[in-house]
Amino acid sequence: MSEQQKYEPKIVAFLCKWCSSAGSDLAGVSRIQYPANATPITVPCSGSVSPMYILSALKKGADGVLVSGCHIGDCHYMEGNFLARRKLHLVKELLQFCGVEENRFRMSWVSAAEGAKFAEVVKEFVEDLRPLGPQEKLKAKRA
Amino acid sequence: MSEKRTGVFVCHCGNNIAATVDVKKVAETMAQEGTVAYSQDYVYMCSDPGQNAVIQAIKDNQLDSVVVSCCSPSLHEKTFRDNAERAGISGFTCEIANIREQCAWVHKNRDEATAKAIKISRSAIRRVARNKSLEPIAVPVVRKVMVIGGGIAGIQAALDMANGGLEVVLVEKLATIGGHMLQLSETFPTLDCSQCILSPKMVEVSRHPKIKLMTYSEVKEVSGSVGNFQVKILKKPTYVDPEACKLCDECTVVCPQVVPNEHDLGLTARRAIYIPFAQAIPASYTLDEDACLGLNPIRCGKCKDVCEAGAINYDMRPETVTENVGAIVVATGFDLYPQEKILEYGAGNVEDVLDGLQFERLCSASGATKGHVLRPSDRKEPKEVVFIQCVGSRDPAQHCAYCSKICCMYTAKHARLYKHHVPDGKAYVFYIDIRSGGKNYEEFVQRAMEDDETMYLRGRVSKLHRTKDGKVRVMGTDTLTGMNVEIDADMVVLALAMQPSKGTEEAARVLKIGRDKDGFLAEAHPKLKPVESVTGGIYLAGCAQGPKDIPETVSQASAAAAKVLGLLSQATLSHTPTVARVRNSHCTGCEMCVTACPYDAIRLENGKAVVNEVLCEGCGSCSATCLRAAIEVRNTSPLQVNEMIEAVLSF
Amino acid sequence: MINVQDIRDTARDLLAKGEVRAVIGWRAGSRGMAAEPCVITKPEEADSLVWDPTCYHNLALNLVNDRKELRHAKQSPGAPIGIVAKGCDARAIVVLLQENYFKREDVYIIGVSCENSGVLDEKKLATQLKGFAPTAAAFAGDDFSVTTAKGENKIAAREVMADRCLECRTPFPKENNTALGEDKTGRDIEPQFAALQRFEAQDEAARWDFWQRQFDRCIRCFACRSVCPMCFCDECVVDSIEMKIAPETTAEEKANRIRWVERSATRAENATYHMTRALHLAGRCVDCGECERVCPVNIPLRLLNNKMEREAREAFGFEPGASIGGPSLVASFRDDDPGEFIR
Repeated sequence: MSEQQKYEPKIVAFLCKWCSSAGSDLAGVSRIQYPANATPITVPCSGSVSPMYILSALKKGADGVLVSGCHIGDCHYMEGNFLARRKLHLVKELLQFCGVEENRFRMSWVSAAEGAKFAEVVKEFVEDLRPLGPQEKLKAKRA
Repeated sequence: MSEKRTGVFVCHCGNNIAATVDVKKVAETMAQEGTVAYSQDYVYMCSDPGQNAVIQAIKDNQLDSVVVSCCSPSLHEKTFRDNAERAGISGFTCEIANIREQCAWVHKNRDEATAKAIKISRSAIRRVARNKSLEPIAVPVVRKVMVIGGGIAGIQAALDMANGGLEVVLVEKLATIGGHMLQLSETFPTLDCSQCILSPKMVEVSRHPKIKLMTYSEVKEVSGSVGNFQVKILKKPTYVDPEACKLCDECTVVCPQVVPNEHDLGLTARRAIYIPFAQAIPASYTLDEDACLGLNPIRCGKCKDVCEAGAINYDMRPETVTENVGAIVVATGFDLYPQEKILEYGAGNVEDVLDGLQFERLCSASGATKGHVLRPSDRKEPKEVVFIQCVGSRDPAQHCAYCSKICCMYTAKHARLYKHHVPDGKAYVFYIDIRSGGKNYEEFVQRAMEDDETMYLRGRVSKLHRTKDGKVRVMGTDTLTGMNVEIDADMVVLALAMQPSKGTEEAARVLKIGRDKDGFLAEAHPKLKPVESVTGGIYLAGCAQGPKDIPETVSQASAAAAKVLGLLSQATLSHTPTVARVRNSHCTGCEMCVTACPYDAIRLENGKAVVNEVLCEGCGSCSATCLRAAIEVRNTSPLQVNEMIEAVLSF
Repeated sequence: MINVQDIRDTARDLLAKGEVRAVIGWRAGSRGMAAEPCVITKPEEADSLVWDPTCYHNLALNLVNDRKELRHAKQSPGAPIGIVAKGCDARAIVVLLQENYFKREDVYIIGVSCENSGVLDEKKLATQLKGFAPTAAAFAGDDFSVTTAKGENKIAAREVMADRCLECRTPFPKENNTALGEDKTGRDIEPQFAALQRFEAQDEAARWDFWQRQFDRCIRCFACRSVCPMCFCDECVVDSIEMKIAPETTAEEKANRIRWVERSATRAENATYHMTRALHLAGRCVDCGECERVCPVNIPLRLLNNKMEREAREAFGFEPGASIGGPSLVASFRDDDPGEFIR
């Protein structure tokens, strides 16, 4: 059980520069506390997140992958999040189909004004990942 | 890779970062990274000594790239990129690791926060190791601007910019400029005549040597980007040569076709050949093709026969004009929320229930009743008039959620105008609450209540219907007394919400600029960039952006004009070089990136994708869509992101 | 019923008139009774063409190879190339046209309808014949007749027909220059995605248990990729060995390929390989079933591809290979694409 308690899920968080990264900045400015499990990688747009990034992160041992972008209609690049929504829907479906836990991959829309929501998204994700334990299914075992 | 020399600068931000993150440990750990040649921490990296330390370290250690672990890049990315430039290396080889907002400020546990700060910094180091030294792309600027929409917003913006020395093309969809303001009788809070203050400006537009006025024209296609847009404008045929037209009005006398007059909102009629109103600019007649008996073949031809000036030409054809402009101001305005959608108030089918603009035309000296307030059904003077506020607005369940902002004021104005026209009449106003923020606005409303004895009833009208004796029965509640109120009114005026005009919808589509949840054009920032659209070089003015009154519209138009004047005062603009790049060897010409690109910045040339670097905004949709890794955004390549993922998961 | 003579006459005629420079079709194979793809260039070779239940290969692959050879030799195509195409072959050609792999005028499609039939699943047949080698085979309506050393056998067609044919809704090649046989579009002998539905009924643990066994078994021979007409890239993103080097390839690119998938055929690498393939085929796979047929370790690859196909249809109303002019699945979107999964 002590092993279980020590387990801290590692999350790779792809945040779009304009909304979600700004939203996480706002969480910071507002000093809203949330778990340190998610490490952000800021990308220009959720639409620039290739499905390869998600598979790669899981293969490199991420316990969870978060992609967060602007709300539909708010994309800085107008359509990027529409493309992301479609592409990543397929990734989500495929992962589940292959028996990877649904909660390993998450997507959210967080605007620049939603600092509290960003903190909530990370908090929830960590809570949902904790009972799953380390992600071993797609993680490459390196000698 | 081994020859890479990155410098890492970790900021304490006083105690802001250092309180939670072991800054020294971050700096020490980063020094171990293979590509890092120099690493230090400092109490305030953004202070003068801090910045100088960065510059000095770059020079002393022959650094070729820089990572600053500090606050959000939105605050100091520019600062440190400028420092990199000052030290002689490209600003694009500097990246920020945000360890304050995204780390120190949101975590309490020092070990966890330090570990995360290390991951964030390491990922920036990996990224910067493959950043290219890029130079901004210089874009030549066309010192000409297009204004779409010839209402007060468009007129004001056009005049300000033309007076500032820019060439202006003003495009208006209708046969005359003037917009909704010209339909108004008087304006609040001074009750000065709308036409009297607007007409001189319209004339100024028509005579201004720097303004090219294109009425009866529509913007059909826009390509290019800030500094250099190509705009295709469709000039619809008016079939009348404005130069030759003598305004003798003989043509309308013989024209057999009668249709409702839009300028009077259907309260009067016009002929198929018409002038919208006497002071129209351009001062010329227009032959409405749709209303005409037929031009091909010519079914009637009477107007041409009677025109002594020979101004009528049935052979005019639509014409597409291409204009090259450096910036665009969108001032496409509003429409009233359609009365047909207000089922509880008869959906526009109850006689003598008017909208606000119709009431303006009843009050206007040039209007349907020549300035006498007469109700449309029997042309009698209405003795009891009910004004209903918030119709279609502040009603998220059925209509628009937003407050239409100007209706409280224009209803007060309507009530006062009515009382001035019919001193023995009785005016009632149903309201939710009164919003009269603005210079002399509250006083104006008070005068409507006190001087003009308007009866303000707080509450909603639940329904209304026509009675047998030709009245409109209005049933509502006065929530202050808790009583039900029933008024048999002679006329009812609905303060309908403003909604984005059809032209605004079209402009958003053609210009590919965003709209907010209500359909109004979206500003780039609600507070700090209220007149900029999200697309560079496209600015917003007037009600296309949201409901507003005339003073506010004029201010916004002038603000947009000032922005354009500032923008086009430069000889060239600089465009970020972090744009998409095609790997020709891998491109199969499948066109997926072409389809995915939101900016039409990619096209196929000889079977390979080619990026227009000025149009490209670097969003990376192409890169994520390409199956063959044949296109990537400079300095955010998949190779870089993959290495960042590795860094993030490093321990 | 298609008369093979009609195919031969059409091919001969096209070659004789010089309307095509070659015709891709099937001829009698050298291995048992199975047909094999062939490219004929002379009218007199037309008589070697065959049409029988062993014509399971997707000839669009040969079209891709022809195009690659031309590009390699820096030749312009000249006259179009003819191709005998079943419903699925024609859908694959449509996807290739959608992606500008060649121009419509570069290919002359001799469509052949599978009508109410389809192609053979050799593995199913082997089970039925219990070890006897078949020498000739034909579908006749609901029956399948097969000749072995022990004489002629009759087996119910559905027992030996390939699964994808049983589920096929478009056995008629809609995109064609000339078509033989009846348009039976819309027929399906078995409901589409039945196997998929059965699989999805299992819980997550069972699904993973199933797939990990499949992924463990994969030897990464890349047969699935090699046989797929959609995998026409010169360099595969999930192959860390093959690399396309061109004069403009930078030193950095040469030195630093992204290794999305490592060479070793371990579970995680194999899983990433197959998932990437499924994602890259989403909206492009026409379910010709060739990947599954050629897999030496019997990984049910159609299941992955079908999953993506059904998702594309149900979530996005997208049908791969339906029209040349339409946008690609992942390069486009609709305002009302599902987004309930996003928080």
